[in-house]
Amino acid sequence: MKSKIIFKYWFLIFSLCGFSFGAPFEKTAEKKLFNGETVKEFKFQNGLKVLMVSRHQAPVLTYQVWFDVGSLNEKMDEKLNRTGLAHLFEHMMFRGTKKYPDGKFDELTSRMGSDKQNATTYYYRTNYFESVPSYQLEKIMELESDRMANLILDGELLEKEKGAVIGEFRRAMDNPGRLAWDELMRLVYTQAPFRFTVLGTEEEIKGFSLEDAQYFYKTFYAPNNCTIIVVGDVKEESLLPLVEKYYGWMKPQEIPKLGIKEEPAQTKERKWEGKHPQATSEILLMAYRIPAATDPDIVPLSLISSHLSNGMEARLRKSLVDTGVAVGASAGISHRPDFFEISISLSEKHTAEEAIKILDREVARLHQSKISKADFERALNQELLSVYGSIGSSNALANMFGEYLMISGNYLRGLEVLEGYKKLDSTDLQKAAKKYFTKENRSIVIVRPSRKGKTA
Amino acid sequence: MSRNLAFFLWVCLLGLTPFVLAAPNVQMEEPQLIYEEDPSSLVSDFQVVIRTGSAEEPVGKQGLTNIFSELMLRGTKKYDRQKFQSTLEKMGATLTVSVSHDQIVFSGEVIKENTFEFLKLIEEALLHPKFDEKEFNSLKVEVINQIAHIKNSNNRLGGLAIRQELFKGTPIEKPALGTLSSVRKLQMPDVLRAYNSAFFKQNILFAVASPFKESQWKTALKEIWKKFPDGSVKTRRIFEPQIPEGPTLIVIHKAKTSTGVLTFAQKGITAQDPDRYVLGAGNFSFGGEPLVSRLFRTIRGELGWTYAINSGYGAMGSLSYQPGIYTIVSTPSVEFTSKTLFKTLSSWQDYVRNGLRKEELSLAQESLINSYPFEFESAQKRLGQRVYSELYGVPVLTQEEYQKTIDKIGNRDLKKALKDRHTEKGWLMTLVADKDVVAAQLAEEQKGVPYESQLKISKVITPADLIQ
Repeated sequence: MKSKIIFKYWFLIFSLCGFSFGAPFEKTAEKKLFNGETVKEFKFQNGLKVLMVSRHQAPVLTYQVWFDVGSLNEKMDEKLNRTGLAHLFEHMMFRGTKKYPDGKFDELTSRMGSDKQNATTYYYRTNYFESVPSYQLEKIMELESDRMANLILDGELLEKEKGAVIGEFRRAMDNPGRLAWDELMRLVYTQAPFRFTVLGTEEEIKGFSLEDAQYFYKTFYAPNNCTIIVVGDVKEESLLPLVEKYYGWMKPQEIPKLGIKEEPAQTKERKWEGKHPQATSEILLMAYRIPAATDPDIVPLSLISSHLSNGMEARLRKSLVDTGVAVGASAGISHRPDFFEISISLSEKHTAEEAIKILDREVARLHQSKISKADFERALNQELLSVYGSIGSSNALANMFGEYLMISGNYLRGLEVLEGYKKLDSTDLQKAAKKYFTKENRSIVIVRPSRKGKTA
Repeated sequence: MSRNLAFFLWVCLLGLTPFVLAAPNVQMEEPQLIYEEDPSSLVSDFQVVIRTGSAEEPVGKQGLTNIFSELMLRGTKKYDRQKFQSTLEKMGATLTVSVSHDQIVFSGEVIKENTFEFLKLIEEALLHPKFDEKEFNSLKVEVINQIAHIKNSNNRLGGLAIRQELFKGTPIEKPALGTLSSVRKLQMPDVLRAYNSAFFKQNILFAVASPFKESQWKTALKEIWKKFPDGSVKTRRIFEPQIPEGPTLIVIHKAKTSTGVLTFAQKGITAQDPDRYVLGAGNFSFGGEPLVSRLFRTIRGELGWTYAINSGYGAMGSLSYQPGIYTIVSTPSVEFTSKTLFKTLSSWQDYVRNGLRKEELSLAQESLINSYPFEFESAQKRLGQRVYSELYGVPVLTQEEYQKTIDKIGNRDLKKALKDRHTEKGWLMTLVADKDVVAAQLAEEQKGVPYESQLKISKVITPADLIQ
């Protein structure tokens, strides 16, 4: 009991004084969310950032570790200059430390009842996440911090993991949609490293050495390149001393700056067509270049995507799916890479050219007239429903914060966009459509079935 | 026993009794409502479960339940499709329907401010669907396109082939979506008949999670429910899967694939199976849990032959009264398909004979017990547990009860359950891959094995065969 009182007192001093009196962290912000919850933001002396939202409806919490590193970093790195390692390395993070050898991390997290445990890699970030019963907070933090600092990189295990990653790569290559995406990236980006795939090529994956992996780990898996997000049954006074205990000792590293070449403005329409042996119908992808996530134009563009894509009354559904031309049609915004994407999966007897004509008419509608008040309200409320529905899940809220933090440096950007909708009217949507949805600014990819390999 | 006590026990029993025991033509005074209040929620979640599914479709009319349910969301007597959908979506709501072999579920979600307005639209859809001929024809085209598109999904093709073989000649040999020919044949009178036979008071269950008081919902739902007619609950139709005696391999030919989808299938279990928890725990460590299961650790972790491998009892959806299918699914790189096949067979043989090792069983037990709170972490999940319990007559266990159930499982129980419910060699296997590559690999892998003892491809089919 006595030790608990001292412990609380110690915490209070630190939390009040912050860095200025030598405390290991400072509370950098405390912000109220629109659902009444509060997000607290902390920064430790070694650069580690922590975001925390307390919710106590159930004795569970979501624990996520986000690293500001992805395939862009390896491509832009002078020593590596390839892609695929960030992803392969994410797999290696499950392969053991001195204290917890290969398989032990998975076994222990499983024993503690972890849910949704996994990891993902993208162009600009890598994340590791799990949900655990809240009394397991210290154990999960010990395990996550251990693999962040003490990973054993073993040549034999690296070779085995390459096998699994090549399996993942080939599985992706069997998917015609995957080919369409990869070609779209190459088409839209002539300079920026988004044109190189996150998974790399089979040759690149096979070619990574143990030294490459060690270099990557030492360079990018540092506290000052990392954010921990905890949402759920957790309190500040129990969380922060544990973060200090398990992560506070780690030394910051000098993280190479990501000097991405600015992609030149697009001046004319680009088009790529190809075939895939597994395709049984055509796939059409269309991309319009747009600004970064922090740009104010993202707000009207997001609402346009809802207008085009959300619900049975969405314009793309009505004009393409209800007419039998397509099986699926969606629109959405991609950040880093920044573009407005339209994705159409054609029905067997219809062609991408037909879909392009229909899309041209839809774009012309957006240019020529303002969307009706009813349509505007529909798009807005569909967006609200989607966000309201997802933030009830601790995992989804943590994901939204993590993605926006890595995309824009502002984890609340997703909620700001939502707030921004309230200040819009249909004129803003028309202006944005005219500004960005032009032929000169778009790229088109078509994947067709290859007759020879056609299966049916 | 006092009359009060007897009545109390009867009520308790009724609460846990599967719907099948409700006698036909039982008069009900109140709608069945399962409710979870969540004052912090910004949305209301709403489900209407109709205890009728695709298993009741006449042979040759597969897809009928799906078509008439979808059509109910495409216009009512008061609103045409556009008016109905735009009103619904404008209020920040979604309403979808899904069909399985034994139920139709309408699921809605709405921002809380518009909850009771939304309910008025649901009433329209459930009680006064228009069943417009033009919408019917357009929906048929849409569904036919969706069915044709299944050819793009190797996982779904593997599943379809399994279903077709194991339930041949029964209404559930095809998926709830139907086939190209069965959907083409559907006519409007089929739709009207199917709707009328499914929507009656005794066949409806409401389930809601929302920030409002239960009493508000009860009043509102009773107003809707009392407008439905009374009806008779049909006897449930159960179909036994036809399992082959020895390993039987069907190849779904797709040229030039660089990975295959390999599916093993045996008869599964029902929701009420007394060995459900024992087999669930066993499967967890054998192949059910990614990253830690025996299959994952050996075939992916040690050998690197496949990216994904997992096993489970859920191939037909949640466990129900209908015996399900137990499957092991992997996605090996093409050069490892035969190796993965034989390794999976030998792993299964070891499992079915010896059960789990001590540390594997303790891993499953600890993990299942410690993760159990996640089943109740949100109002929606709590609601899901209670609805499942009501539909299939299995109790929702408290943490303590669950722990007790799982803790007492021993390897002897597991071995007995495996012996009782499974066979060592009675596998139906499907492989979506290039038939020539598979044949060559099988021959290579079985060099030295007498020809008559070799595993051969028993049948080659095309993706198109599966959806006709």
